[in-house]
Amino acid sequence: MLKFLLFEGGLYKHELITDFLEDVGGFIVQKTVAGLDLIMNLAVPEEELGRLERIVAEVKGKITIAPLIGVEVAVVAPTLSRHHLPHPACDIAENLRRHGAKTNILGLARGVGQKIVHSSPKERELIEEHDIAVFTLGNFEQCIKGFKIPLFKDLKIPVIVTGGPYLDSLPECQGYVGGIGRYPERARTGEMIDKLKSVSELAGKVAEERRRELDLDPLVVEPTVVKEEVERQVPEAREALSPNPVTLKIDGVRIKLPYLEYKDRISDMVVQGKRLGDVASIKRSLMRDYVLVKIYPQSMLQKVK
Amino acid sequence: MRRAAAINIIVDSSDKVGGDQYRYIAEKSVEDLGIGGSVETIVLYIRPEIPLFIISIRYRDFRGKNTIGELASIDARTGSIRIRLDSEIDLGDALKVLWSEYGRERVEQAGRMEIVVQGVEPEEVQQIKIREKAVDISSRISELSSRIIPEGFRVRSVKRGENMLTVIAAEDPIKEEWKAEALKIEAMGNA
Repeated sequence: MLKFLLFEGGLYKHELITDFLEDVGGFIVQKTVAGLDLIMNLAVPEEELGRLERIVAEVKGKITIAPLIGVEVAVVAPTLSRHHLPHPACDIAENLRRHGAKTNILGLARGVGQKIVHSSPKERELIEEHDIAVFTLGNFEQCIKGFKIPLFKDLKIPVIVTGGPYLDSLPECQGYVGGIGRYPERARTGEMIDKLKSVSELAGKVAEERRRELDLDPLVVEPTVVKEEVERQVPEAREALSPNPVTLKIDGVRIKLPYLEYKDRISDMVVQGKRLGDVASIKRSLMRDYVLVKIYPQSMLQKVK
Repeated sequence: MRRAAAINIIVDSSDKVGGDQYRYIAEKSVEDLGIGGSVETIVLYIRPEIPLFIISIRYRDFRGKNTIGELASIDARTGSIRIRLDSEIDLGDALKVLWSEYGRERVEQAGRMEIVVQGVEPEEVQQIKIREKAVDISSRISELSSRIIPEGFRVRSVKRGENMLTVIAAEDPIKEEWKAEALKIEAMGNA
């Protein structure tokens, strides 16, 4: 299984790391250079971690395990109004990004109230395009327990819920973090930042679990390999203006290019000797017409055959 | 620097944590709108189980100051005057008006809250209005109430009194008993 890591260090001698990754079948997911500083999101086979640590120590860098790298998280607010945005949703999203995740904030049309609360099939489908969803709910226990659960019940992806009241647990979700309800200013205190961190840590655990599950029935090709191949074979993907134009997901990639124009080229790409269209579903994303590639697990491919 | 009198926020909530959080939301919303000096009392009556949310805001009538004489002290010098504003907030508006009146070459910003104008008399400048309309406090109070009331409580009944705004917010048509409750809450705000 690949382990995802955040590298922080200098540019000097960083080729040692890139060469090592090439040798052992690891990947650079994202590379950011700021002056002489370098931040890289890396994926490395679990068994090679020790050797990588030695190289990193040699170049005087630092690595941190960041399971949220390569995970696309939807932060779902009950609406897009000022009552629920920007503070709770943006704070949570920012903290998730600090832990390596790629986040998208979604506002439901009618996620508020007790009687009108509702999510449409299209909204649910859009949320399910992500790997994990974080629902940021309000301050009333009665509202959350009694009326908001249908918002995330039966979603096909893991869900984490945040809200004001401190609850031991909440049904139909993978975890609940209390103390982050509706609040009117940016989280600045240590106490609030700890709560945001606990959301990211929980999301990290959920991502790790999902990857362990996938390990039992591995994907036909690794999403990291698909990402590299897309960037190599469809160079326009690198130049798209959207942030993170080829976004890595746990079981695929989101390519930020227009679907109709690129679907055939992407389907016909050959990755590790296989045509991508044969080993993955390639569909139009509900988000701005992007291309969504979901790689089949090996068991499913056998069924397809 | 003038300090605003403390705002009295009374919360009656059947949900303790939610009630505390709404007190915090009310405090911060007043701060964001910059009307701390005008709001006297906010009473919140919260019953998510009904669901019902009543907010009553008592405020001071605020006559907005708008002439330079009211907003600043003016020192006369030979051939020029120095305007010392009481608040930085008025600087932009004051500069704009003085520039259009006397031209850029005669008006100079001397500091964060100071403006020097060449060749005018203090009496003349004192009467200049820096904004046409006085700040309308009642619209800001309405904005405050809508910022505090949870979004899901969409059925609303608004009652305006003298320096008082009461909003009953619910998800069902407003009942007479809630209006009676609102009267009690208003009375709490007056006490």
